Amino acid sequence: MASEVNIVRISKAYGAFKAVDEVSLRIRQGSFVSLLGSSGAGKSTVLRMIGGFELPDTGRVEIGGKDVTQLPPYRRDVNTVFQNYALFPHMSAAENVAYGLRQDRVPAGERRKRVRDALDMVQMLSFAHRRPTELSGGQQQRIALARALVKRPSVLLLDEPLGALDRKLRQQMQIELKLLQAQLGLTFIFVTHDQEEALAMSDQIAIMRDGRIEQLGSPTELYDTPRTAFVASFIGAQNFLNGTRIADTNRLEAEGAQFTAGRVAEGLQPGAKALGAVRPEHVALTRDEPVDQPNRIAGQVAAVVMLGDALEYLIKLEGDRDLISRVQRGRAAGLPNTGEAVWASWDAAHFNLYPHEDLQVQSSRM
Amino acid sequence: MAQDSTAPSLTLTPGLKAWPVPRWILAWPALAWWIIFFVLPLAWIVLYSFGSKPQATEQGFVSLKSLSLDNYLAATSELFFNVFLGTLQIAGIGTIACALIGLPVAYTLAYYVAPRWRPLLVFLLILPFWTSFLLRTFAWRIILAPQGTLSKTLQSLGILDGPLLVLDTSWAVQLGIVYNYLPVMILPIYVAFERIDPALAKASMDLGAGPIRTFFQVTLPLAAPGLFGGLLLTFILAAGDYVVPTILGGTKGLMVGNLVATQILSAQNLPIGAAMAILLILMLALTVIVGIVLLWAVSRALRTMRGAAL
Repeated sequence: MASEVNIVRISKAYGAFKAVDEVSLRIRQGSFVSLLGSSGAGKSTVLRMIGGFELPDTGRVEIGGKDVTQLPPYRRDVNTVFQNYALFPHMSAAENVAYGLRQDRVPAGERRKRVRDALDMVQMLSFAHRRPTELSGGQQQRIALARALVKRPSVLLLDEPLGALDRKLRQQMQIELKLLQAQLGLTFIFVTHDQEEALAMSDQIAIMRDGRIEQLGSPTELYDTPRTAFVASFIGAQNFLNGTRIADTNRLEAEGAQFTAGRVAEGLQPGAKALGAVRPEHVALTRDEPVDQPNRIAGQVAAVVMLGDALEYLIKLEGDRDLISRVQRGRAAGLPNTGEAVWASWDAAHFNLYPHEDLQVQSSRM
Repeated sequence: MAQDSTAPSLTLTPGLKAWPVPRWILAWPALAWWIIFFVLPLAWIVLYSFGSKPQATEQGFVSLKSLSLDNYLAATSELFFNVFLGTLQIAGIGTIACALIGLPVAYTLAYYVAPRWRPLLVFLLILPFWTSFLLRTFAWRIILAPQGTLSKTLQSLGILDGPLLVLDTSWAVQLGIVYNYLPVMILPIYVAFERIDPALAKASMDLGAGPIRTFFQVTLPLAAPGLFGGLLLTFILAAGDYVVPTILGGTKGLMVGNLVATQILSAQNLPIGAAMAILLILMLALTVIVGIVLLWAVSRALRTMRGAAL
């Protein structure tokens, strides 16, 4: 049975460094929740506190309505898929999977059946007698998954489990994991620094930054209505215009022009320094000035990058600033070539204003 | 990768000429050392063990005029047999004691000591080796002396009725053996523990095993090669020791090494000494083989008891 996980104001500090700072999170029974953030954001620490490997300084962790904050890992109805799988090298794949059932003293007959079923579920039955060192990364990943799932935990914790796999395999495993989760109806808590992975798999994503949850929401909510410039830049690609909010309007003065935004983020003071954000796929390109579009800016095509289904245009604005436009290939006919002048424009509905923050520093921070 | 006979063969180091001499030539210095200082002397000793003590008229240490097994018959006297059993006992108990003391020390060092303090503690562990083996062992004579401070303290505390009478017995030898070979046991076990990925113990706990079961099911099996190396090394070194029994054992704490030394150094009977040395080597090898077979049988029995995973 799946269980609800309720995290109430947990904090954890290592010396002066606050790894997790008053994080609260309620995870619905049977949902797939990702903790997304760069390294040092505190996401793995939160996971370790749910798993029982780390004791919070303050706050509590409830699983299925029961306070488990003080319980050691072996007394929690939670299993973990570790970052580098942590398979026991002195046991075969099948013995690895059987390990957890042995600890619970599951009778031999039932144990063998469950080990077989778990191996079958991850399509590894034919590799049952191999040692972990004789398996590829993807195969080890499957064994680690089977080993955790064979115990039928109410919550499965996954700590960057796909990080060591190559891109193709990672995408395949994303789909398999998602299907498995839907099929078993388990609560999955997934830690990743890969925003694409989080978008592809999650019901809910908690974006973490400096030990706090910056925003919690569905992938669509986070993509369409990010609450801060940080979230806007972390999820998907984003163009930012540096400027000033005009009085208390929804207008931005930047690059010697005025732009109209569809949304003004909370906390942006009238007349304050602001960031205007528009996603590359919402930036339209034309040869002639689109006079009926208030949000427009002139530039020059510096490069065109082929992405397969789309083309990415790198536009140089005046003052050596960049703007990126993503154009579906079917609509690219007749657009200017490299070196030619171009007009970029976008709808107010896709333009958001945020309080100014130094995103350069944030993204390079470890 | 599929093999294709028509495919051009790959050159492993393009642009580099093949080495003009075979690569095993690199092993020669070590091999030569081993042959000159180990194999040849050993062969000599084997040869000597079949010879006889030279007559007064003859030159040299050994007469090889008539080869026989007489030395082996002489060596397998009751005295030799008893001393040999005593040696096995002292080395065996010493090895087990070293393991029992060494395991927790190595475990603590590898898991409870912060990485930056470990080099210092390992250094302290091998620090005694910087003093002469002889001197360190001799120091125990002062500690264990019946009129010494330890003896007097134990008496004044009422733990002992009379003076401490450990010196010049096999107990003192036992103590000296454990003292001298403990680091030899700790170091390989520590290295084995340290090389185990800490995530494995976490995974074990995550799967429902408490700390004790985790230790016996994950940590100890993975450290087994180091533990085995420590046991073997300690046992062999302890069984061949003759300095500790000479200094601490008096007349009661004899070991085989003493008999060999006496025959060669005092009695000037190199052939019997050689025969004893060969017997010691053979019996040690036999003991080690028996030990390995026992360990293998136990692990097999455990495996069968646990039952197949699938």
